[in-house]
Amino acid sequence: MNNTAIENSNISKKPLQPGRWLIYATLLLFALIYLMPLVVMLLTSFKTSADIRGGNLMSLPTEWVFDGWSKAWGSACTGVNCEGIKGYFCNSIQMVVPAVLISTMIGAFNGYVLAKWKFRGSDLFFSLMLFGCFIPFQVILLPMAQSLGYLGLANTTAGLVTVHVIYGIAFTTMFFRNYYVSIPDELVKAAKLDGAGFFTIFFRILLPISKPIFMVCVIWQFTAIWNDFLFGVVYSAGDTQPMTVALNNLVNTSTGVKEYNVDMAAAIMAALPTLVVYVLAGKYFVRGLTAGVVKG
Amino acid sequence: MANLQINQVRKTYGKAELETLKGIDISIDDGEFLILVGPSGCGKSTLMNMIAGLEEVSAGQILIDNQDVTHVAPKDRDIAMVFQSYALYPNMTVRQNIQFGLEIRKMPQQEIDAEVERVANLLQIDHLLDRKPSQLSGGQQQRVAMGRALSRRPKIYLFDEPLSNLDAKLRVEMRTEVKKLHQRLGTTIVYVTHDQIEAMTLADRIAVMKDGELLQLGTPKEVYETPANTFVAGFIGSPAMNFISCQVKKDDSGLYTELTNLDGKATRLPAPAYLNRYLGEQVILGLRPEQITHYIPHKAEDQMIAKGHYDVLVTEPTGPDVIVQVMANKQEISCRVDPEYTPTVGESVELMFDCNKAVYFDPHSEQRIQPENSPSQASAA
Repeated sequence: MNNTAIENSNISKKPLQPGRWLIYATLLLFALIYLMPLVVMLLTSFKTSADIRGGNLMSLPTEWVFDGWSKAWGSACTGVNCEGIKGYFCNSIQMVVPAVLISTMIGAFNGYVLAKWKFRGSDLFFSLMLFGCFIPFQVILLPMAQSLGYLGLANTTAGLVTVHVIYGIAFTTMFFRNYYVSIPDELVKAAKLDGAGFFTIFFRILLPISKPIFMVCVIWQFTAIWNDFLFGVVYSAGDTQPMTVALNNLVNTSTGVKEYNVDMAAAIMAALPTLVVYVLAGKYFVRGLTAGVVKG
Repeated sequence: MANLQINQVRKTYGKAELETLKGIDISIDDGEFLILVGPSGCGKSTLMNMIAGLEEVSAGQILIDNQDVTHVAPKDRDIAMVFQSYALYPNMTVRQNIQFGLEIRKMPQQEIDAEVERVANLLQIDHLLDRKPSQLSGGQQQRVAMGRALSRRPKIYLFDEPLSNLDAKLRVEMRTEVKKLHQRLGTTIVYVTHDQIEAMTLADRIAVMKDGELLQLGTPKEVYETPANTFVAGFIGSPAMNFISCQVKKDDSGLYTELTNLDGKATRLPAPAYLNRYLGEQVILGLRPEQITHYIPHKAEDQMIAKGHYDVLVTEPTGPDVIVQVMANKQEISCRVDPEYTPTVGESVELMFDCNKAVYFDPHSEQRIQPENSPSQASAA
């Protein structure tokens, strides 16, 4: 017994076989191809303007400078004003945090009702709600603009939050409903017999075991809302514009020489928050999409 | 603790044509242990959920302690339930699981602590109180689930197949624990199972159900010895009762039925006088395997005992007994023989048929033929 065990472990420690090498080499190659744009962006953002014009796209900066980053943050021109993108970065944060939290909470609540308190036609209701996932942004632009006008929310951050919450509910409801369906009904029955009511069951039993799907929703919604351009450009103006719109304005502002280092630094800043969210919560993403069975 | 009455309860789901429950009547006294048993899909879990208030009653009444609770919310019925999957709250520790119901009922924390301690001692789970359910074994989870039910001291406990997720050995242990618990606490318990051994060992009374109907309600002894029909007779007991079609005949010494072996030699089995009205007709003779044994000399004098030689087809040693299959009336018949007398396959053995507890069924209705003047204790539906 012991001998065979040792032999088995020796097999797995054998030198890599040619097939393995091929797989690793291919993976490495593709990793390099996918990383190339990021490398170019990073390198360019640390170069001086002269360096960029004179040198090769892939070459290392002759001199590492942070001019591009500081200018993009504090003094680059986006359209007529030249205060960098820091204000817009804050706009985006102010928009994305409430929008993500509100849409996730509503989704959790909807999912709870649709999975555990079924009513006549609740499955049909859910199917219809799923259509919300497939409505293209362009279709709702005009009616939504009018609605926001009636509500007095036109060109405000609150208006943008409203749009994103409404648009996100279909997705978050779907996530939570499907997660809660996989949780045994007996759990809810047990709580009912223990005397717990509708809200107690939700807040004390189901919500505490929803962390994986909560994280999925947060990542999904954060990415979608932070990266959105169309709603941002249509439903906001001037001071309330989100980061994506500002980035576009910054890159398209055509006075003087094109400052690629500033553009690249601004683009990286715009992409950074979603990256951070993925790194922090990414492990839940895969787990949350596959998990759900609560044993015991 | 309380009594429970179920009056003509019916259940129809949505637009389904067939009723899931077709008018169930059950009444149990304070402190009784009632077992609902039947094959899957017989409606026993539905009935239990209706007692708990988790499902609507389509028609009929449910009374707990003589109070109509048919349309009362589950939390106001003062009932606790142990689920097949245990349904422990996965985010809470064992302690929190047990005290959840008490907290919701706004019991003072001091009393809660005392109650948790009492229950934990009772079930010997005090050392597990700070663990999460996922850190427990199946048997421990089972105990916690029972603890959660016990902590509220409800009027009625409901057990929904609580032991079916445990392995065989643990199931037998927990079965004994449940029985001890009932003896110690004297609580009213309704227990659903599809395991007829659990039903026999635990119950004060057994309700055998099939296709939404209550076939028989009685003590384990009644259900075992005087089954209402062939289904109950076949469902309770393992190996199952032998059903042998035979004709009722008569000679000088009285009524008898006949078993014929493969060589055509017949054994006359004495039959009770009440079969007189079936004279000359076919009946189904029900003999349990333990009523067909090897030859026991001291019993041979009994009037109701017959013996005959039969060829052995199969032997199945179980330890305490050997189950022997023989051929009689062109049917396979199981007999229970002492291991001392284990026959070899093909051998012709002398068997003894004890007809004292034989039961007879009408071949058309499949109902048990009852002695004419005895009250019908068996029929409940």
